[in-house]
Amino acid sequence: MKKITGAEIVIQTLIEEKVDVIFGYPGGAVLPIYDELFKQKKIRHILVRHEQAAVHAAEGYARSTGRVGVVLVTSGPGATNTVTGLADAMMDSVPLVCISGQVPTHMIGNDAFQEADIVGITRPCTKHNYLVKDVNILPNVIHSAFFIAKNGRPGPVLVDIPKDIQTFKAVYKGKKNTKVISYYKPNLKPNINQIDQFIKLLEKSEKPIFYVGGGVINSGEVASKNLFKLIKSTGFPCTQTLMGLGAYPTSDNQCVGMLGMHGTYEANMSMYNCDLMICVGARFDDRITGKVSGFSPKSKKVHFDIDASSFNKSVNVDLTVQGDLARILQAINKKIEEKKISFKKAKIKDWWIQINKWRSKDCLKFKNSDKIIKPQHALKRLDFLTKKYNPFITTEVGQHQMWAAQFLTFNKPKHWMTSGGLGTMGYGLPAAMGVQIAHPNSLVIDVAGEASILMNIQEMSTIKQFRLPVKIFILNNHYMGMVRQWQELLHGNRLSESYMDSLPDFVKLAESFGATGLRTEKPSEIDDLIKEMINVKGPVICDVIVDPSENCFPMIPSGSTHNQMLLGPNDKVEGEISEDGMVLV
Amino acid sequence: MNKKNLKHILSIMVDNEPGVLARVVGLFSGRGYNIESLSVSEVDSHKFLSRITVVTSGTKIIVDQIKAQLAKLIPVHNLVDITELKSFIGKELILIKLDVKNKKTFDLKKKLERLSAKILEENDLEIIVQFTGSPNEVKKMESILQPYKIIEQTRSGLVSMATGTDYIKK
Repeated sequence: MKKITGAEIVIQTLIEEKVDVIFGYPGGAVLPIYDELFKQKKIRHILVRHEQAAVHAAEGYARSTGRVGVVLVTSGPGATNTVTGLADAMMDSVPLVCISGQVPTHMIGNDAFQEADIVGITRPCTKHNYLVKDVNILPNVIHSAFFIAKNGRPGPVLVDIPKDIQTFKAVYKGKKNTKVISYYKPNLKPNINQIDQFIKLLEKSEKPIFYVGGGVINSGEVASKNLFKLIKSTGFPCTQTLMGLGAYPTSDNQCVGMLGMHGTYEANMSMYNCDLMICVGARFDDRITGKVSGFSPKSKKVHFDIDASSFNKSVNVDLTVQGDLARILQAINKKIEEKKISFKKAKIKDWWIQINKWRSKDCLKFKNSDKIIKPQHALKRLDFLTKKYNPFITTEVGQHQMWAAQFLTFNKPKHWMTSGGLGTMGYGLPAAMGVQIAHPNSLVIDVAGEASILMNIQEMSTIKQFRLPVKIFILNNHYMGMVRQWQELLHGNRLSESYMDSLPDFVKLAESFGATGLRTEKPSEIDDLIKEMINVKGPVICDVIVDPSENCFPMIPSGSTHNQMLLGPNDKVEGEISEDGMVLV
Repeated sequence: MNKKNLKHILSIMVDNEPGVLARVVGLFSGRGYNIESLSVSEVDSHKFLSRITVVTSGTKIIVDQIKAQLAKLIPVHNLVDITELKSFIGKELILIKLDVKNKKTFDLKKKLERLSAKILEENDLEIIVQFTGSPNEVKKMESILQPYKIIEQTRSGLVSMATGTDYIKK
């Protein structure tokens, strides 16, 4: 068989993995791969302006399609710039393969030019990583990387390829004839005995709640369908995490909204008072639980997850079922049908009456104004006017992110891309690029803050080059809003370094990159601005000047429990926030 | 009962590849777990497998979490919590160099023989003693030799296996 170079192997293996787009940035240590990229037509390369953005763009691509996102960067700074993106993908379980160039094998460890021990650096923030020192195993490594990235709980895999390996030759026999790692076999099939135990709990419960996370979205559309069927057949309420929004339609009447620190009152109260909590692909994150010792004290807890290390990590549960959520939910639905179990509405009637009482507090209400734009109002209008386009939404991190989660509708999975675990400012714009590349004809909106957007603003250049019609909707309050909110709440209103001075003129900034810039500070103009944003064919930056003093409510203050929510600015924390609470982030 | 900090011996079968120890150790340090003892060596040169023995301690929940996190590492083939098995053996090895210049060593040597410690090196100046035993026996040996002038000493991590079936291959 004909021998080909390592660089050719990289391209061939990617083609076999059905990769159609790579996000990357060239440099000395990956020139052979870029040369091969130049010679072929199957894979499109998107040249970003910073490697961190390449990873976020690949995340946006992956999360909106369910496929593996691919990144290509050079050694040293090229590779270290990907670290934030990789950590982000690790926390939010996004399948990625990141290929980095490395100095030639004989130079490794010599502090060579643009050398960094990227395998060492990224070990804790990747699902797995490889340094390839033998060109003969390169096909095995790349196919394994894809297998690992997308199987089990998804995550990022980094493959570091020294430059000499890219030029050495080896035989590539195709994917079918390449051995991938055989012992990595995540268990997908649920244990039927545990399903039976769960059904018993289900039948007994009078105050149940489904607590749904991003795992459902990662499992795929079948999982969402099965979940919908289960929730409909039981008639139980359902709450979603930030990552889970869209796994179950948020406009459905059985959905009580997002839970957690900025979740709805009814969702958090239901979690606190339930007798059966059914966690489907969520991980009891600290944003969700609040103070762990006071978390849902009266409930039996059931946890479905593909990752066994998520069980009993922060909260003790009574029953765990490990496996692929689509299969677990299918097995449950099947059991319900076989046993002809019908869930009587009467049994949970009182529970729904109670939930509707909590609902009637209308915890997301805000005082609108005709003088100044309230950020909540701007998002409500954005939701109303874009709903029919079924838009893909990405966000940056902060107040605008929480408001977007609260006020936008998510009726389909894979339409909501936000940095949940790591909380990476600067995520939204590059993620939106990745989404737009995967869905060229769809409406893609990055809901941003004026602080976050500046963290990857250089990507306007990428947007221009690839003519991506991404819409950037900045809620501009001249503050790092969430930082300011915490300073008001916890640090005596001393607004240390949270004011955003010397902001650019976003309209001119847009224009300088060939995009359209729109700006308003009048509530009466917000609808027209959004309509124009939709109608403009190319990229748009909307600079929406909003009330600088608005804070994000409801809120569970640090170190508090679900039943101790602050519903608005006039609610005060009961007593002082404890020292334990103060140290929490 | 579940709140108690207990010692656990974990035996982990891993691919013998560069960086595998860093993955295991990094997991412990990164997540704030304890390593009380560690030993690692290749055990299968055909399949390139190494066996790592880690002694750690924690509540049941913490140790379960450690095991679940370890099992998630890609190069980890299998792991067994040896302490949870019916009966097992755990041994350490210690080397101690004693200063015997101008000293009579007759009693010492007799004592060592009785404790089945080996003398690996003996001359006018020093004696090097090798002793293998359970962690407690090794500790006891250290205290027995305390009265003598110890020049240096070194101790291996614990290696351990259960009696009966090969649980780690199962």
